[in-house]
Amino acid sequence: MELVTLSTIFGWLTYSAFLSLMAVGITLLFRTTKVANFAHASFVTVGAYVTYTLTVTLSPNPYVGVPVAFVLVGVLALLQFYAILEPMRKRNSSTVMLMIATLSFDIMMLGVVNIHADYLTSTFAVPARNILLSESDFKFMGQPGILFVALGTLALCSAALYMLLNFTTLGIALRASMENSSLSEAIGINVSKMLAISWFIAGGLAGIAGSLIPMWTMVNPNTGTLLIASMFCASIVGGLEEIYGAILGGFLLGLVDVVGTSILASHVAPWVTLYEPVIPLLVLSGTVILAPRGLAGVHLRRGRSWHL
Amino acid sequence: MALIDQVILFVVDLLALFAVYLIISTGLNMQQGITGIPNFGILFAVAGGAYITGGLSTRLAVILLGIQTNLDPISENIAVLQLVNPILRSQPPTAVVLLILFLMIGGMAGALMGLISSAPAVRLREDYLAITLLAFGEILNVVGIGYKPLIGGPIGVNVPDIFGWAGSYRFYLATLVLLLVAIAIYAFAGYIIKTPFGRTLKAIRDNEIVARSLGKNITQYRTSVILFGSLLCGMAGSLWVLYSGAVTPTYARFDWTFLPWLMILLGGIGSNRGVLVGSLTFVTLNKLIIYYKFEFVGILPFDIVWLNYLLLGIITILILIYRPEGIVQEKWTDPKQNLGAADKPT
Amino acid sequence: MGKLLQVKDVKKSFGNLRALDGVTLNVEEKTVTILIGPNGSGKTTLINVITGFQKPDEGHIHYGSTEITSWSPQQIYRTGIARTFQIPSMFGKLPVLENLLVAEKNNPGESFRKSLLKKLWAKHERDAIEKASRILQLLGLSEQRNTLASRLSGGQMKLVEIGRALMSDANLYLLDEPVSGVNPTLAHEIFARIIGLREQFGITFFIVEHRLDIALKYVDYVNAMASGRLIADGTPEQVINDPKVIEAYLGA
Repeated sequence: MELVTLSTIFGWLTYSAFLSLMAVGITLLFRTTKVANFAHASFVTVGAYVTYTLTVTLSPNPYVGVPVAFVLVGVLALLQFYAILEPMRKRNSSTVMLMIATLSFDIMMLGVVNIHADYLTSTFAVPARNILLSESDFKFMGQPGILFVALGTLALCSAALYMLLNFTTLGIALRASMENSSLSEAIGINVSKMLAISWFIAGGLAGIAGSLIPMWTMVNPNTGTLLIASMFCASIVGGLEEIYGAILGGFLLGLVDVVGTSILASHVAPWVTLYEPVIPLLVLSGTVILAPRGLAGVHLRRGRSWHL
Repeated sequence: MALIDQVILFVVDLLALFAVYLIISTGLNMQQGITGIPNFGILFAVAGGAYITGGLSTRLAVILLGIQTNLDPISENIAVLQLVNPILRSQPPTAVVLLILFLMIGGMAGALMGLISSAPAVRLREDYLAITLLAFGEILNVVGIGYKPLIGGPIGVNVPDIFGWAGSYRFYLATLVLLLVAIAIYAFAGYIIKTPFGRTLKAIRDNEIVARSLGKNITQYRTSVILFGSLLCGMAGSLWVLYSGAVTPTYARFDWTFLPWLMILLGGIGSNRGVLVGSLTFVTLNKLIIYYKFEFVGILPFDIVWLNYLLLGIITILILIYRPEGIVQEKWTDPKQNLGAADKPT
Repeated sequence: MGKLLQVKDVKKSFGNLRALDGVTLNVEEKTVTILIGPNGSGKTTLINVITGFQKPDEGHIHYGSTEITSWSPQQIYRTGIARTFQIPSMFGKLPVLENLLVAEKNNPGESFRKSLLKKLWAKHERDAIEKASRILQLLGLSEQRNTLASRLSGGQMKLVEIGRALMSDANLYLLDEPVSGVNPTLAHEIFARIIGLREQFGITFFIVEHRLDIALKYVDYVNAMASGRLIADGTPEQVINDPKVIEAYLGA
């Protein structure tokens, strides 16, 4: 195990923190609106560019963007919900149509991000592609600050989400809408509003993840697109219906991906790392064929299912 | 260049692109429109056909033309082609044979990609299926960039000049060939849809459980359709490479997955005629935007192609919300008419 | 007369719910049997298990001398057993005629390879269209021949269900509430036709039915289920007056 260095472990933890933040949103949306949101990719990219834009215009501190990205992307998700999802839900659109809709929104956002990137370059004379902000990061105990920030943010968000869902009236109404929307509607819960809130949260989480990514890896308008398979994979591995499963899924996938690549690269050859994107795909296909309910399905084949 | 020449060139190029997209959309329509298989990864099959053609065509040409050389067809691509192309240009029949060969190989590569993606595809729920297929689509570009011997890495390679023997009429010939292939495929698909086989596909789409109760082997049908659709996509990829003369690992999801979906959506899912309408509309729209983008350089602080993304995204969403059945409705003819004269009463 | 269908001690649970709790029943050849029972007694589950849509946890099912316990729905259909669904399930975007044509067995045109050459399947297709047209006439649906199935009324869909079963030339028909939502005159006509088919072709019918007012005078035997078990079987007079049956319906 000398091939698995400390830096690999930290790489795994950081990557998994990102994956988990993104996957939680995907699972949340899947549980509430029953749709696979391909636009999540853009949520992440937008978050990244929020951070970058702020460092270019306002403050060189890269972490300033985190709360801004949370709000902005949350609002973006709300826009997608009210402008696209709601009208389609009301018309009983099929699953496939809904998926194409989210894919279309993703495409639109891709356009917007690219336009923004071009705009940044032409207006501020800065590069807007291949951006990496890791130099602006602080160091703590010899490790890049992003490690701690990512993990800490994940912990914070998970705790906040847990408290929201379990200790507030709003949270309980949210969970009711997730479990049984028609019943919730009947007892007076505004299900549409609950769904909108879950979209805001999911978008916000993706925005947070995106806002931190420039500290860790190079960002481009297609960053989100490159990660979408991993996001879905983490979500599915954790069980598409289990919100906290997404976190477990994120760490599992991260483990296989980062550590796996590192081991392969040392054992076989360095060029293996070029094929790293194949790993999430293989894990995804394997999970989907062998254990479609993810961890929830594998563990508890009979008896009660593992819920929130 | 005179205006009329510009227009002609524009139209000829547009028709070629239209032909390629007609083939892809036909393949996609067979899968989604007729059989209800949401293939979000047709990029996989298209790129597969493109890469195989790019990767193997030069090598195959060298072998079949009996050229003696130690040069590597991929890494020393230009040099090898300088040996290949003059021979091709002087031997039209050989060029035709090679064309057919490359098409077949491209189709088979596409079908292979379809086979790989059909393993998860035939058994999965729609959303899992879409996610998996989407992910598959991204794979080939990774491999294409990383594995240099395949298509020469990020810069790509050129392919033999199949249409070169027509001299100054090369473009017209190329477009004509593409159109002929596309129309043949389109007509064939139209025929298949009207057979009992096609009817069974629609039945599986409309109600899988009942179809099963009536003895239909769902998995087998779905696999056949995915293979067929993917074969078409592979051929389209191959044709595109042969037309463009080169292949690069830049096959984007937008161009080869999203656009075909938009085309069949606009046309009307399930309708073969709609595929024609949708393909023509969006190829034209896309080409006009790209053509005129140079007019906008300097006026807008960004590349106008991104506006294209926005525009097409909005159009798709509008169609999905307000007219999900598309423009052309699914057509059917009374089965009695389909039989025609092929059946002789005893 | 032999036993065409034998269900032996079949059990099926969904989680904690015991849908079938050891069902044993036999259906004689060339008879018309109905299955009655209160809601939730497991009738549709039984049909699903027999036709391969669910696998029983325990028990055996025989069709003639062949064991069909773990057969797939496709195999069941091909061997001569046809079923209808309680909630009419159409091929919505196909016209009524084609809904019936899908049910036709062994149409060579359904294979991809054979479909390429029209000559190979044209005759079979023509015959199938004839048969389907006759069935539509029988059911009074000739006018709806080219109507999209999704546009039919509930009662009309029920008829298409039956029509589809009739296309199959099956030996054993498992009908799940075939006349619910159909007007009484037509319902009587359908049952009369069922008897006619039994007389003419020796077809066996096993029908889940609530409309005792209509069905009772046509049937040979009645099986009654409650709570996943068979509680009575015999002639209509026997079963109707069986105290267990009365209690199951009224006791609940």
